[in-house]
Amino acid sequence: MSESLSAIPSGVRYYFGREAHLRRALEHAAMSIFKAWSYEEITPPSVDYYSLFERGMGSVEAQDAFRFTDTDGKLLALRPDVTSGIARAAATLMAKRERPLRFSYAAPVFRLRAESHAEWRRESTQIGCELIGRNGCAADTEVLLIAVEILSSLGLDGSYAITINDLEVFNGIVGRLGLDAPAQEKLRELVDTHNAGDLERFLASYASTEECASFAQLVKLSGRGEVFQNARRVITNDRSVTALDRLEALWGVIDSLGLSAHFEVDLGDVSRLDYYTGLIFKIYVAGVGMRVGSGGRYDQLTANFGKAEPAVGFVLDLDALAEAMRANESISRLGEVAERTAALIMDEDPAVLFREALRKRERGDRVVINLKRDLIP
Amino acid sequence: MTNLTIAIAKGRLQAEALALLARAGLRLPDEARLSRRLAIEDESGRYRFIFVKPADVPVYVEHGIADCGIVGRDVLLESEADLLQPLTLEIGRCRIVVAAPDSNLSDGFGMLRVATKYPRIAAKYFGEHGQPVEIIELSGSVELAPVLGLADCIVDLVETGATLRENGLQIVEVIAKSSARFVVNRASYQLKANFVSSLLEALREANEDRKA
Repeated sequence: MSESLSAIPSGVRYYFGREAHLRRALEHAAMSIFKAWSYEEITPPSVDYYSLFERGMGSVEAQDAFRFTDTDGKLLALRPDVTSGIARAAATLMAKRERPLRFSYAAPVFRLRAESHAEWRRESTQIGCELIGRNGCAADTEVLLIAVEILSSLGLDGSYAITINDLEVFNGIVGRLGLDAPAQEKLRELVDTHNAGDLERFLASYASTEECASFAQLVKLSGRGEVFQNARRVITNDRSVTALDRLEALWGVIDSLGLSAHFEVDLGDVSRLDYYTGLIFKIYVAGVGMRVGSGGRYDQLTANFGKAEPAVGFVLDLDALAEAMRANESISRLGEVAERTAALIMDEDPAVLFREALRKRERGDRVVINLKRDLIP
Repeated sequence: MTNLTIAIAKGRLQAEALALLARAGLRLPDEARLSRRLAIEDESGRYRFIFVKPADVPVYVEHGIADCGIVGRDVLLESEADLLQPLTLEIGRCRIVVAAPDSNLSDGFGMLRVATKYPRIAAKYFGEHGQPVEIIELSGSVELAPVLGLADCIVDLVETGATLRENGLQIVEVIAKSSARFVVNRASYQLKANFVSSLLEALREANEDRKA
């Protein structure tokens, strides 16, 4: 049976016309802002050792990579994320550079399986940044402000929300239960889906009344500053309290900058415990059902490449961002340069035709060469 | 302009879900209840209801086309959709079971043929028990499969067990208990937090009444 020439694999697509233009403009807008915050652009290899991604993303996530073998039999992968490559470079190639390191990137990534049913794509473009070698509130604030500036510059003010959480709040409560790995994963899933009913039943066999109350607090509706007060009433273990202190300090800075309207605290966001180590955040934009971006602190990551140091960063999904722009009718904000009318040039003599074309191009005009059949022999 | 769009699973759950929503203050106009329209607004005009097949509720909610929905846990387990499930409802109670003509499935099956509408739930369950299975996906009348010899057992929903008994099947194992869930899109939960929280609160009260 011959394969159809028209079919393309699921999860990939073409981009052209206005959509391609919008994507290019969005990428440019974001990269300009990264540059203005002194983030250096970096592009890791598209093809790399599979082991890089196992170390960088964890073995479960790495399994979603397209894999193939090199001529020497080593397992290669089409990069499923950009951060792994940057973390390795930071720990090795740039080990001696002065800290902090600030990197930005815009690059396609590939996954065998889409991340969820709603995100059917297997090729997507990640736009993001990493701040490596600094811990604490100032570094966290810096990357959050960059995210805010990008969203605001795209005219999305009032249409987006960034949720913040510190995973150590959850870890602090779980640590006291002494659960095995599958039970801990089950618990993580219940909290992450804010599944209060099943959570209560699940905890009944493991936890004290106090711990149950702590968990119940995590899955309550997210909110603003009042979340801290409510949480402190029931969450008293040291590890969680330290995390709450840290998160509240960050909230204080955000609030004092007059930006708290863009933010929510969501103590139940525990989506990637194996990767992020403290701050975790998600970016949502009205009109887009899936999240547009996510980020957080991953202080263990570079240790996998031989140099432990703190790091924080985030990534925006270019397709989701483009959808957000369309949903919010915000596309005009990108300031499309009004091009001068296309000049249509026709002449029997090709030299005359192209001389005229070059002259118009020097003036900045857009040209379209009318290539009549057999015009140029 | 409606505040929230709510996807409701048609069929088994629909009447109970609408009754629950009515107790929570979301009433449908009488003429709308009788009509065959698949998208209608409640009396206040603040909520839009869409009626879709149960398996499609997670699809609409995950894509954010509906902000929230009411659907059985069985459907959620099968769909593996990434949704928030903030409220367990006291409606649509049933069990997901393994049923067979003979209650003893514990040995003698190097390969078990399983007929089901729930291939993922079945594969996961037997996988966890180390039982090799051939999953035969059917779209209805699953009880027939063992009777006619298409399968050794079935994985299906059971409410009263009457259909099973009438077809000579017994429950071998209960995989999970199911009831309806209130599910919410992750983005809507943050971006429409006020609307979601007031609906959630109203539903919680209506649900508590039912429990009591």
